Amino acid sequence: MSTNNLKLLCTKFNNLKINYVITRTASNWKPPKYRPPYWYMPKERVLTEDNLTQDNRMFIKEIIQDKLQAQAAMESPLENISQTETMQWTPGKKRVGLIARKIGNYPMWDKDGKKVLTTLLQVIDNHVIKYIPPENFKPMIHKVKQPQEHRRLGCMLVGAENIDPSTVTKDYCGLFNSVGMLPKRHLCRFMVSPEAALPTGTPLYATHFRVGDHIDVRAKTIDRGFQGVMKRWGFKGMPASHGVTKTHRRPGNIGAGGEKARVWPGTKMPGNMGNRWRITRGVKILRINTKHNIIWTLGVAIPGETGAMCYLFDTVLPLKKHKTSPPFPTQPPLDNLPLEYYDDSIHEFESPTISFEEI
Amino acid sequence: MIFLEFRALSTLPERVEEPPQEEPKEVPQRRGPKSTNPILEHRHIYPEFLPDPNPKWRNSLREKMERADMLKRRQQIDIPEFYVGSILAVTIADPHAQGKTNKFVGICIERKGCGLRAEFTLRNVVDHQGLEVRYDLYDPTIDKIQVLRLEKRLDDKLFYLRDALPEYSTFPLDMDPEILPEGTPVPVNPLKVKLKPKPWLERWERQELKGIANIEQYLTTTNRLNRKLRQTPWEKFDLMKQYRKTIPMEEQSDIWSEVNNQLQQLQMARKKMARKRTFTAPKTQLG
Amino acid sequence: MFKSLITKLCPSQLTCGFHTTACLNEVRLLTRLRVVDNSEIGMRAMAEGKPPKIICVYNKKRVGFIGDRVMVAIKGQKKKGILVGLKQIQNVKVPKFDSNNIVLIDDNGTPLGTRIHVPIPTILRTILKERTHAKGADYTKLLAIATRFV
Repeated sequence: MSTNNLKLLCTKFNNLKINYVITRTASNWKPPKYRPPYWYMPKERVLTEDNLTQDNRMFIKEIIQDKLQAQAAMESPLENISQTETMQWTPGKKRVGLIARKIGNYPMWDKDGKKVLTTLLQVIDNHVIKYIPPENFKPMIHKVKQPQEHRRLGCMLVGAENIDPSTVTKDYCGLFNSVGMLPKRHLCRFMVSPEAALPTGTPLYATHFRVGDHIDVRAKTIDRGFQGVMKRWGFKGMPASHGVTKTHRRPGNIGAGGEKARVWPGTKMPGNMGNRWRITRGVKILRINTKHNIIWTLGVAIPGETGAMCYLFDTVLPLKKHKTSPPFPTQPPLDNLPLEYYDDSIHEFESPTISFEEI
Repeated sequence: MIFLEFRALSTLPERVEEPPQEEPKEVPQRRGPKSTNPILEHRHIYPEFLPDPNPKWRNSLREKMERADMLKRRQQIDIPEFYVGSILAVTIADPHAQGKTNKFVGICIERKGCGLRAEFTLRNVVDHQGLEVRYDLYDPTIDKIQVLRLEKRLDDKLFYLRDALPEYSTFPLDMDPEILPEGTPVPVNPLKVKLKPKPWLERWERQELKGIANIEQYLTTTNRLNRKLRQTPWEKFDLMKQYRKTIPMEEQSDIWSEVNNQLQQLQMARKKMARKRTFTAPKTQLG
Repeated sequence: MFKSLITKLCPSQLTCGFHTTACLNEVRLLTRLRVVDNSEIGMRAMAEGKPPKIICVYNKKRVGFIGDRVMVAIKGQKKKGILVGLKQIQNVKVPKFDSNNIVLIDDNGTPLGTRIHVPIPTILRTILKERTHAKGADYTKLLAIATRFV
């Protein structure tokens, strides 16, 4: 009896692991507050050595390939729904957005011969993963019971970029398995009107937007690390000479004395610069490539560096909103689309040289 | 020094190869590295097809789209082969005088930029007034780019012409194109310019320029001392610096094999045009 | 007088220790300019080696750009002029000159000379047309006396 107990104890001790890792962070820097939504499943997985044989690895690869092919062959649920059944667009309705990757800038020329810089955004494998109608969508979980609120907009989850399922957690894969898809690297929530709801598994393309439309782009700005006030807030600093010592790039005074003898909240100080979510509103679309799903937008003000992800949606600026009906709820996949759409103001590279005719 | 042979240029300006007569003994040894992929030779003729080597801005799809757009523009107008030191005539549609074109002739003193951002600068002296005009290579308002004299100079940037005597950058606006016989290598002009006395725009003595004849006569002992102090003779052995400024061979061969077909077609079309021109040119003179 | 003193103290062969990068070549207060028309006062000032000096730039930035109106001190007089060529780095397709050129005008915009003997940037056609008012000064007369556009 006692030996049995001892053995049990021994095995228990063997199973015990010390998983305590000291993480050292700067004491005065706190990461931005983040409260995950309730549909969020932890994605990161601790990668362990699986001790698989080469054959097994190949087998897993084959399965992933098969799934990918099945996903590609899956026809869009929109094709079964005829055009008459879908709702008509009215100015107040909110459509779903897209997830895109910023892939660089290059110049184009307009029809007056003026050079304009453009930003290229690539839309990669966007699929609708989930739709939560407004009555079921309760993002805030309160301890105290709240009075019943009336919601207008539902929540639509969109994923982008397929990844290897073995690199993420099982819970995260489960989100996508129910739709019959491989897990996606990026997942985003868009608030949409119930009329613009899409069936799960609908692929979204760059033609969701039209050329000449204005969009809002939400992305994280470039992380510049801990910066001083001259770079972070554009302070002037202090003179290089005239008896100034040791305070050439410092902020100087940060508050007055007397009653206000403290530092006021919101005082501009050194700190972490960049890596914040920012929205650029009213960006014009100049060109769309339907083969690679690339959107060219006017200007270089899209936040983030090359390769950063950004979320595109219809603009909220009152003067730049849609005047006519956009593809609603989204553009169904068509085979006979032209390869490229150009805005009227943009000179196409195929067209002949510009000449200015006498008026 | 082998890596210099393999050096694949991108943003680095075109450097003039040394004339082969100086070291005839080395010719058999050189054959090895030179008999590499022939399509890599495009990098001298079309340097703007190579992307910027800064890894922050690299993206294969964007580079592919950019090259496609460049080729589309090249289908519309003939952008000839030219180098720093060549004399060009550029005709642009003038938005300020409707219905007219504007022609400028000058020597190319600089060529820079990758992709659709490629630029070149022309310099000329018109009515005893020095002028420089910068053009975008892929600007759709450019009507015609004509090479009047195809040659290279001893340096890869000719900014010192601003401080040289004006006759070195004076070219007549109605210059006739000089046609090189087919198959000849691009000639290197060994012309050395004479500078005006100081003050200069830059410290030319520190830049190791080969194309200046009389720089020593204007220098003081302090200048010479400073020049010696600021020399960086180790830089040509800095492999990492070379690597950061260039595109690797493997990536280059991918790029060139992608665009080679269309570039070849364009080159063929250009040759056909050149042959036609040689036949028609005497007729116009007679008429 | 100052200039001669400085040249005596430090001979021109010695380089100045302060300035290491290419300068902006901005046209601002007290910049020396080159008169490029054949007005009598301008010709004489250039021949005597006393080129005009800017004493006012008529724009908000106080830095002269192409086509801007400036007031210059020339041979002890105040005259107005239009900048027709700059040393500064210019936009694509706009020529950059080796000297800062000026054409003298009077208050109505009529040039004092009858001919401009250097090339004029063609972008001036648009700029001067925009600056001309129906009842005010007419700057487009300057374009009529130009010999060559680049």
